[in-house]
Amino acid sequence: MTFPEITEAMIQAWHGVVPPNDPARRMAADLASVITAFEAVRGRMRFEDEPASFEAALRECKE
Amino acid sequence: MSASTSGGPADWGLVQAADAIMAREISSTELLEAYLKRLDQVNPVLNATIWIDRDRARGDAFGADSAMASGKAKGRLFGIPLAHKDMYYQAGRPSTCGSAIRRDFVPDYTCTVVERLAEEGAFSFAGLNMAEFAQNPTGHNRAFGDCHNPWNPPYITGGSSSGSGAAVAAGITPASLGSDTGGSIRLPASACGVTGIKPTQSRVSRYGVMPLSFSADNVGPLARSALDCARILGIIAGHDARDPTSARERVPDYEGACDGDLRGQRIGVPTNYFFDTADAPIRAAIDAAMGVLRARGATIVPIELPLMDAVSAYVGVLSRVESATIHANWMREQSQSYAVHLSARIYAGYAIPGAFYVEAQAQRGPVLKQFCREVFSQVDVLATPTIPTLLPTLAETDIDHGPPGTEQKFMAVSVNTRPFNYLGLPSTSQPCGFDPNGLPIGLQLAARPFSEARLFRVADSYQRDTDWHSRRPKV
Repeated sequence: MTFPEITEAMIQAWHGVVPPNDPARRMAADLASVITAFEAVRGRMRFEDEPASFEAALRECKE
Repeated sequence: MSASTSGGPADWGLVQAADAIMAREISSTELLEAYLKRLDQVNPVLNATIWIDRDRARGDAFGADSAMASGKAKGRLFGIPLAHKDMYYQAGRPSTCGSAIRRDFVPDYTCTVVERLAEEGAFSFAGLNMAEFAQNPTGHNRAFGDCHNPWNPPYITGGSSSGSGAAVAAGITPASLGSDTGGSIRLPASACGVTGIKPTQSRVSRYGVMPLSFSADNVGPLARSALDCARILGIIAGHDARDPTSARERVPDYEGACDGDLRGQRIGVPTNYFFDTADAPIRAAIDAAMGVLRARGATIVPIELPLMDAVSAYVGVLSRVESATIHANWMREQSQSYAVHLSARIYAGYAIPGAFYVEAQAQRGPVLKQFCREVFSQVDVLATPTIPTLLPTLAETDIDHGPPGTEQKFMAVSVNTRPFNYLGLPSTSQPCGFDPNGLPIGLQLAARPFSEARLFRVADSYQRDTDWHSRRPKV
């Protein structure tokens, strides 16, 4: 299966959503660029990193 | 449409209009009628509104004039008519969110920000056009018709607060609430030649405001000047018990910060990312703007920004996944009720793995801290183009009817605004020139979290020495 075919099948299986139109198929296919972008920053994530740290970071970084 | 710098009350700034009412130079009714007259003149071309409530607004204006006559006038926006993006819930009034799906939605409660404006004497008279569910950077709208740029109608207004940008520029309203998840205040501010601010993430309550992305949604104003935006933000900012995500930080005197003093301010101009796709007229306008700031005492500092690879990777993930999640029922049951460009964008969000989403969330704090440490130790404010390329037409960015590849032109509009949503930083856009097609160019400023006052100081100083913000499209 191609990447777009895999993506389409996965969305239908996990979410029950079918592609509404051709631009949707193209945008889903373009997620390959998201994978590439994440590959470029692999290794940043640490075991202890905590999503809820953002609000604290905003306060910490103010003037 | 060519530029004009003169005009009657409909062309006044917000603070000017509020001062005129309190000085009894104009009544609330006269001001409202000036906006309604302008609306009737220009709206057939612009399509900036979704609904108009003339009767209730005239009643509100009459009430304000009666209060003035009996010596009971009070408030920083006393008697001021305003129109907002049609996603701010007001009890008993439509809130379509620019969509066919919510065409008949009438909330039974009012959002905090509209309540706070009302406490200062303002009232609403229209709901403004917007991108469907606030999810495009252009101003296309299938349900209510596209919004058109008042400076050159075949061109985009920017989105998603398209009607807010067009209406403020054209003199339909002196200011408007927009929302910004990836640039939706700054893009229409730039494209329509007005001033707008996306505050720090959590600075303003989102209670009663249509959600798009829990992590990145922001409420803020578009108006004709930094001073006018400062007036609005000073009213709506601050903690709200009904929105537990709203910050408890003190709200400074934003208007007081507009003192024209730029001595000691270090303005950073990025050498990477933000100018990578910039067209020559845009670069020239930003260079000229830096000259204005330098002449007022600021130091201009070239700076290479760190972590833009991480910001670029993570920036689109949060809003796409969160939007896909909250639209899931409608996407399963009535996906054809959305515009093509919107259902296409939402659809792709379902394929992003949960592990990517958590990584983007978990990295947000560490990335912000490292970014601020390395950038704001060298400069106080960043300056970039709001939109780096010449503004496209509605036709050139029409995914619904355009050829494959239109998606890239569509998404390129917001390439410079989205990073500051991921970082949660306050960011403004103010006009700094015109392109060869007669369309405004926007200067984007960004600073540390909760540094809106500093941004207002820089933007207001710039506007003291330039007249781009005073020019109005001739209608």
